[in-house]
Amino acid sequence: MKLLSSYFKEMKIAARGFYFYIEIFFAVILLVILLVAVNEKSVSKQKEFLYYDMPEAFKEFVIQRQIDKGALKLIEPTEFKMKAIGFEVKNEETGEVETYNFDAEIISLRTYQEYDLDTGELNKTAYIADNEEDMIRLAYQEQKIGATVAVNDQGERSFRYYNQGYETDKFVNLLYILHNKTPDVLAAAVESQEVTKLGDIQTLNNRENLVPVMVVFMGSLMGFFIVMAYIYLDKDEGVIRAFAVTPSSIWKYLLTKTMVIMTTVVVSSSIITIPVMGLQPNYFLFYLLLIISTFAFASLGLFISSFFDTISKAFGALYIIMIAMMIPAFSYYIPSFDPVWLRFFPTYPLLQSMKEIIMINTDLGYVLTYSAVFLGGGVLLFVLANFRFKKTLTV
Amino acid sequence: MISVKNLSHSYSHDDKLAVNNISFEIEKGETFGFLGPSGAGKSTTQGILTGLLKQQEGEVIVAGYNVKKVQNERFNKIGVSFEQSNVYSKLTAKENLDYYAKLFDVPTRDSMELLHLVGLDGKENDRAGEFSKGMKHRLTFARSMLNNPELWFLDEPTTGLDPAIAATIKDIIREQAAKGTTSFLTTHNMYIADELCDRVAFIIDGEIKLIDTPKNLKLQYGRKLIDIEYIENGKVVKETLKTVTEEDRRRIGEIVNNHDIQTMHSKEATLEEIFIQVTGRELV
Repeated sequence: MKLLSSYFKEMKIAARGFYFYIEIFFAVILLVILLVAVNEKSVSKQKEFLYYDMPEAFKEFVIQRQIDKGALKLIEPTEFKMKAIGFEVKNEETGEVETYNFDAEIISLRTYQEYDLDTGELNKTAYIADNEEDMIRLAYQEQKIGATVAVNDQGERSFRYYNQGYETDKFVNLLYILHNKTPDVLAAAVESQEVTKLGDIQTLNNRENLVPVMVVFMGSLMGFFIVMAYIYLDKDEGVIRAFAVTPSSIWKYLLTKTMVIMTTVVVSSSIITIPVMGLQPNYFLFYLLLIISTFAFASLGLFISSFFDTISKAFGALYIIMIAMMIPAFSYYIPSFDPVWLRFFPTYPLLQSMKEIIMINTDLGYVLTYSAVFLGGGVLLFVLANFRFKKTLTV
Repeated sequence: MISVKNLSHSYSHDDKLAVNNISFEIEKGETFGFLGPSGAGKSTTQGILTGLLKQQEGEVIVAGYNVKKVQNERFNKIGVSFEQSNVYSKLTAKENLDYYAKLFDVPTRDSMELLHLVGLDGKENDRAGEFSKGMKHRLTFARSMLNNPELWFLDEPTTGLDPAIAATIKDIIREQAAKGTTSFLTTHNMYIADELCDRVAFIIDGEIKLIDTPKNLKLQYGRKLIDIEYIENGKVVKETLKTVTEEDRRRIGEIVNNHDIQTMHSKEATLEEIFIQVTGRELV
């Protein structure tokens, strides 16, 4: 009864304060960004500048063949405002250095969009220069890859690439491999390889892929920060001292704070998740993990705040923990960055669990295991916070 | 109702003691004044008695409970009015009282009745954040009466209040005392202590210098004084002289015989003057 009374009081205070609305407002902003600014599928912004070093008729034939296949599509010409510039180009194979100097001018280029024949997705945009110098200066000024396409004595196409110099060896080697056979032979070789999927893998589109990150950071980091803010507001008003001279227990006071955070996190996460994901996620698991993880991070916030008198004194610890908790997001977006030490950050398994939940083929064992871990960790932190607050809350 | 034996406390956990080996007892129904200047150890003592500060050395029994042991139910018998107002600014006056009332396990007083008692009727639906300092203080005071406390801790109960409201608060304290409530009143205002307390303790530098009733203190330490205003060389001169010392008595006769007396009043020594006499320090 005391717990419920305190919870309703805390909700009333939260609803009359601005932290509650900040979180709701932030969730609405994120939803708008997801729905308006994030496309479900990737839009390729890759660009390349090409010069066809071959007779005009042959060049048109090559391009037309690609258009007929559906691989290329002619769009409106693009104008580039070129700056007056001078630079050197070094041939990596011969070591020769060539110097270029250009005046400012406007160049208009034929522009094509290149599509993947299998998926129909846009791969890149290609700009065809009328001469090699224009192609080189464009590649230099726009910081994009440039290439001269020629025909050798055997009638095969050959490529001379102009890279920026900072490309990885892996990328450069890929260019060598790509053109050591004709595209037809390469395609045939790829097709001859049998690839069997080990499971029925379902992937998330760009928009859906952002949901776990937003939900985890809204729940864990905002919960962690806002529970600390609530504690320091109460310390500032002195109401904790008044609470301490009532028959109610400190743990009830602390639990009602986490309950308020859990309520706001459930509301704000629902605002983001339901419109984007619809009925796809397992919502029972979703809310279970959301509430447990929010409890754990709010308990962490309570524990940290028990060491400091004011929020300004706690700010250093608060900042370091929040930054540390964000690091696993790098691994989430860059799967090749996945060091073992990163897996010990609580937001790492939390992100993976949330991703599992919103996918159709949820790894139930993984999610439930980490739900149990977060529950255990949360309870331990809460007990420690309660122990600390009994000593320090009223000082 | 309160028994304190050899209580000592150090915030730095060393030999710098905020409270140094103090002992006293307060009987049920008694109004006990704990008097001293800022930093004397009043709030530290009250903090330990109310459980807000951890007891380090000595033995403290409050309302039958040993404060060293965590027993939250003891707060059903205790009310605490803080010097610094501490109410939820986002809740209304009534919501503040109703919320705290639900935290007690004993029957509580009606919030509207308490608001009326402290002169906040009509303000029950106003948020405490919009209240003046004095109104917040009255709300804090009203909250301390919610559970009909047997033991009432009052920290500077009239500080910052205008005289009319202060008089109301003093009347409430007297009424509660008449009903048998034990009060532990912490103040540096000797007039309040003189008016309300059955006994007072003078504390300075963490040590209790004496404990007695205001009447006994006046009898023991007070000296009858006479304020005389007279004309000398065309100017009004004022002197305060003791009637008990030979030198002052001679001076009074000399003034009366040789000067034109404007005013002459006899007066009793105040608790404040006794405090200064006993401790050698002023109440600031």
